[in-house]
Amino acid sequence: MPYHLFKCSESIPEREKHAVIKGEGEDLSDALPLGYLNTIPGTLSERGCAYCGAKHVIGTPMKDVIHLSHGPVGCTYDTWQTKRYISDNDNFQLKYTFATDMKEQHVVFGAEEQLRKSIKEAFAAFPDIKRMTIYQTCASALIGDDIEALANEIMDEMPDVDIFVCNSPGFGGPSQSGGHHKINIAWVNQKVGTVEPEIKSDYVINYVGEYNIQGDQEVMNDFFRRMGIQVLSTFTGNGSYDDLRGMHKAQLNVLECARSAEYICNELRVRYGIPRLDIDGFGFEPLSASLRKVATFFGIEDRAEAIISEETARWKPELEWYKARLQGKKVCLWPGGSKLWHWANAIHEEMGVEVVSVYTKFGHQGDMEKGISRCEVGALAIDDPNELEGMEAMETLKPDCIFTGKRPGEVAKKVRVPYLNAHAYHNGPWKGYEGWVRFARDIYDAVYSPIHELSLLDISKDEIPTDKGFVTRQMLSDVNLPAEVRDDPNLREYTGAIDSVARLREREYPEFVLTETGEADADASLKIGA
Amino acid sequence: MTEEKQSEYMELLLDHIMKKCLWQFHSRAWDRERQNEHILGMTCDLLCGEEIVPSTPEDKCYYADALDLSRAYRNKFGWLDDLSAQEIRQVMQALREKLDYLTITGSLNEELTDTHY
Repeated sequence: MPYHLFKCSESIPEREKHAVIKGEGEDLSDALPLGYLNTIPGTLSERGCAYCGAKHVIGTPMKDVIHLSHGPVGCTYDTWQTKRYISDNDNFQLKYTFATDMKEQHVVFGAEEQLRKSIKEAFAAFPDIKRMTIYQTCASALIGDDIEALANEIMDEMPDVDIFVCNSPGFGGPSQSGGHHKINIAWVNQKVGTVEPEIKSDYVINYVGEYNIQGDQEVMNDFFRRMGIQVLSTFTGNGSYDDLRGMHKAQLNVLECARSAEYICNELRVRYGIPRLDIDGFGFEPLSASLRKVATFFGIEDRAEAIISEETARWKPELEWYKARLQGKKVCLWPGGSKLWHWANAIHEEMGVEVVSVYTKFGHQGDMEKGISRCEVGALAIDDPNELEGMEAMETLKPDCIFTGKRPGEVAKKVRVPYLNAHAYHNGPWKGYEGWVRFARDIYDAVYSPIHELSLLDISKDEIPTDKGFVTRQMLSDVNLPAEVRDDPNLREYTGAIDSVARLREREYPEFVLTETGEADADASLKIGA
Repeated sequence: MTEEKQSEYMELLLDHIMKKCLWQFHSRAWDRERQNEHILGMTCDLLCGEEIVPSTPEDKCYYADALDLSRAYRNKFGWLDDLSAQEIRQVMQALREKLDYLTITGSLNEELTDTHY
């Protein structure tokens, strides 16, 4: 597996150790990109900061909380439009953002009084919300405001409120990943064990590393609840502050994004003896295996099998329709951290696309181990790429579509490469069986949209054909398909609703059954299976 | 079973783990040793027809991964049906050594020996 130095980075030779091409007959002991290191001077990173990782990735998806940044107002930028971690309480955490609005005078004279005033104002403005997280920023960290002391004073003064303090200033790590670590450890140190939750089932899990992007958590929760499993807390998408204080009472931590949340799972294992089971919520086969494993842990495999059969029968014909039309299309998996390994193999096997490159902005070497293992030979793996490297990779690899964030995605558009938003999705959720079909549909729409053909024409100099121009996606995607595939009556396009999450909120589930012996009630089992 | 055949079988089993599983990539060397030992050990026992009754939560977790892996192996690799228990144990031993090498002793991951999680 040779290391790869981009032409555009020849003046930054240190970058060579951050990119690797997976070679035939080679393995992880031959080469592995460096990762989770300070960005090299001279390269323009696409990473976020440690504050962003703590607040915007992990903290803010908690739904019933006032999320207050103690810093300049600009630090609160990521809100409704850029983050799509929805919630079932009318998206309170997305609609409102709070900052102490630190300015130069506060840096000179201190900002604790400004913070005290902001806390009280926020609680007064939203009297139904009694929980708050306060996020330190670079500015408040540098002047040394004692946020904990102030939070304790407020809690003494207002006994009905509870405040969590997260000290993860922007400079507190090489990337947002430093903030993931800090908030994981801060939460388990400060809050876990401070509430005794109500246990309603014999089977109790924490669902960890899941942020409810466009409803992912609600899709997975639906499966767990159909299996009679109580999801005690979700860390943190659509998660409730007080539920997350009771994480210590779960029997199992089901871990989805190991990059952002393995720390709290590992600590819960050491401190409370709760084991950690890593799962994939993406892809029919990986998801089915994941549901089976959770069920095996509790001895309720029949319940998982019932769900797998039902969901596969409903959605597989639609996935196959897209797979036939996406066969051989080249894609780059360029997300932030975990999705490169969640998707690399499943998307190849279940949608037929060729993954020609994976990259991670803030992943560690462990993420690259997983990602490279799951890629096919020839894939280019890049750690913390700069914008020019991304451009060079697109010129070289000529992908049909890339999956990345908004900023590099907009760059891709300029060179007429379609992109899908890997962080916030296009028409998600993308988890679950239906979600995986929605992802396939989004890829199909991106790859075959006629707009990309049209955008290749330069109206200032190209001759614009007037005798043609009407094309449909079918004319583009079906033209080379064998008739038996094109006309296969067993395959069909996506038939779900525009909003696939709302109906889940209306769903009725069997009552959880809690027995003294720990044995599940047989009648309930039958009802759940049905 | 010849050494070549054993090696060929081992590589197929390894490829499945690397493409489909996540448990081998916990973040620390000691954690990977624990995962590899218990999950591959239980998988081997299951493939050899032995019954496993996990008792602790930790064991149940290993068992969940091991059961999934052993079923996938049986479904995917028909040649396992033709191997004796002793031959299966030989292949699994070789698999354990190779997996330990790739994920622990030969791994280039510089975080593996970090003393903190």
